[in-house]
Amino acid sequence: MSNKHLFLNSGFVRAPLQNGVGRYVCQLQRIVLKFCKTHGSCRGLRDFIEQDLVDFAKQNPGVVVYLKPRRHRGPVAVAEYLNGDRVWMNLANKTHSEITKWIEVLRTQQGDIASTRLRKYQYTDHPSIQGPWTPFTFKNPELNTAVLPDQKFGANDRLPMSATEQLRLMFEKQKLEEGDVKTAE
Amino acid sequence: MSAFKRVQQWATFARTWHVFDCKWQDPYDSAQVIKKYLMGLHKPIYHPTNDCGDVVVCINSRDIALRGDEWRKRAYFHHTGYPGGASWTLAWELHNKDPTMIIRKAIYRSMKGNLQRRHTMERLFIFPGEDVPQDIMQNVTNQIRQLRLVPTRLDHIPEEEVQKYPKVMDYPQDYVLK
Repeated sequence: MSNKHLFLNSGFVRAPLQNGVGRYVCQLQRIVLKFCKTHGSCRGLRDFIEQDLVDFAKQNPGVVVYLKPRRHRGPVAVAEYLNGDRVWMNLANKTHSEITKWIEVLRTQQGDIASTRLRKYQYTDHPSIQGPWTPFTFKNPELNTAVLPDQKFGANDRLPMSATEQLRLMFEKQKLEEGDVKTAE
Repeated sequence: MSAFKRVQQWATFARTWHVFDCKWQDPYDSAQVIKKYLMGLHKPIYHPTNDCGDVVVCINSRDIALRGDEWRKRAYFHHTGYPGGASWTLAWELHNKDPTMIIRKAIYRSMKGNLQRRHTMERLFIFPGEDVPQDIMQNVTNQIRQLRLVPTRLDHIPEEEVQKYPKVMDYPQDYVLK
């Protein structure tokens, strides 16, 4: 996140009411296409309206489609969603196929997701099965009754074996095999 | 927030008190370890903006061990701010004046110099000896492992254990024992 995104809303990846699990409710409520009948930058949008708009409206009976011819204005699509989001999209100089894809994006997205910064790229209702970490997770239970400071818990236990200890072990082994071995006086 | 979630939150963010025995330890190496506990870097929930640092109680700071001849060579600089106010104190002098100062400065220097550092240092207790006030010691639930093995002196080992130690070789006949 850079400084220019300080005022960007942040959120998590969510599906409203578990949308798509069992049934799917199209989150796009209303789409308004504003265009000019003569302006060159509206060419693609006009093509889309002539060729694909009726099919689009038939295939999506839940979406209200408005057309607003506005003289000498750029082409614009405004989409409104069930959660109240309103997405304004400039379609100037976009070709017919580009506009088909952008309208598909507006139809399938959950809301104004482009203007939210995702805090994480994954979301779960059950973040942990074994429960959140606490300071006592994975702790030695002997510490509960230990009187600290104790050399047993404080000494470094990851050092390699010292020569003294090694010699003592060899001595014990030899004692088991031979029986009588010399010790220091 | 349900009662369970509230207790869960309280348990996860509870401050733990650790004790660290500085006996025979290098303060500059130990500082790298103690710093992690003070800042909460040892926790899986660590994040710079969450307040998850622990409290560390250092004991036996009088018995720290410096490397080589650092007691004589290492100097601590102080400037009063006035002209000619600079002073250099050698490590052994500083240790004689305040036996907690060397380990405190080592931990302070090991952390990044930001605004949080002073507050993190407030969570550090250093005692020159073994005796720690009871109200501090009763909170301690964990001990930080030392970095170096504390050597045992021969005259501190029980007599019979010394007697039982294996004999590697015999002295020659003409060897003169002192």
